[in-house]
Amino acid sequence: MHELSLATEVIELAQREAGKRGLTVIEEILIEVGDLSGVEADAFESALGLIVKGSILEGAEIKILRTPGKAKCSGCNSEFDMSQRMATCPGCGSFPSEFSGGEEFRVVSLLAG
Amino acid sequence: MVKWRNGEIPLNIDILSENNRLAERNRGYFEGRQVVCLNLVSSPGSGKTTILEKTIASMIARRKIFVIEGDQQTARDAERIEKSGAPAIQINTGSGCHLDANMIQLALKKMEVTAGSVLFIENVGNLVCPAMFDLGEEKRVVVISVTEGDDKPLKYPYMFQSSHLCIINKTDLLPYVDFNVETVMANARQINPTLEFLLMSAKTGEGMKQWVEWVEGLKD
Repeated sequence: MHELSLATEVIELAQREAGKRGLTVIEEILIEVGDLSGVEADAFESALGLIVKGSILEGAEIKILRTPGKAKCSGCNSEFDMSQRMATCPGCGSFPSEFSGGEEFRVVSLLAG
Repeated sequence: MVKWRNGEIPLNIDILSENNRLAERNRGYFEGRQVVCLNLVSSPGSGKTTILEKTIASMIARRKIFVIEGDQQTARDAERIEKSGAPAIQINTGSGCHLDANMIQLALKKMEVTAGSVLFIENVGNLVCPAMFDLGEEKRVVVISVTEGDDKPLKYPYMFQSSHLCIINKTDLLPYVDFNVETVMANARQINPTLEFLLMSAKTGEGMKQWVEWVEGLKD
């Protein structure tokens, strides 16, 4: 359940960034969770919802942006969609050589209240 | 072009950036003191603590060794390690399922790791969560025992992808279990083509010499 400690990281990050800008209320936070990031987006969202009370994010709307995984095939070089880490190229069945999307796990923006 | 609303503050900050920053600080600390730091990860019960006890016994005459032990509860592992002759510090993560870079930094303030030594970090037994948290180690070592399934790399790809060496432990039990060494290696290589392997039985001592050579061969 590392989603809980990741949620704590988000609160600390939001508190730091709000502090730098003198914000006391955050209306909305947008968080990007890639399909290949190793973070279970639903578990993360629930964890964050559970611990926001008393923090700068209490009352803020939490928006999660899911980014699909994309990979380059090590066999035929084509790009394909990848929803999980162990997927293989639908064309030739090879494993990917690199990921070109879906590894993101970041706070995209805050909306000041 | 993204159009930002009034009051919207674009950040694009990686959520693990604070952990990564602290991990880089730890890495700098280790480099400055020529300390080789290894992060040992595995499922619970793969034999990490026994491997460390035997490793300490074979290396301690030549090299100073320190150990950071991570567990949810108890100081049992640190006590076992200290009995084998290396200073150890226990971190209890409580409800937490992994060590993070900040915990290592705090442990380093309590335990003076001398220059030129080897620091082993035994992470919490868990193949999922520790994968995401860089501690500042030089190499990550994943331990799998032959009583586990040989499809484990496919089930927990992140850990095998982020590791440098895979120790296959408890090889003395191979005649009694349906564990195929070639299969586990092939599965792990699909995820991480550069992963190295080492067959070991911490109990009988098989592979211990190669392991100690691997550790001692690392540039600090």
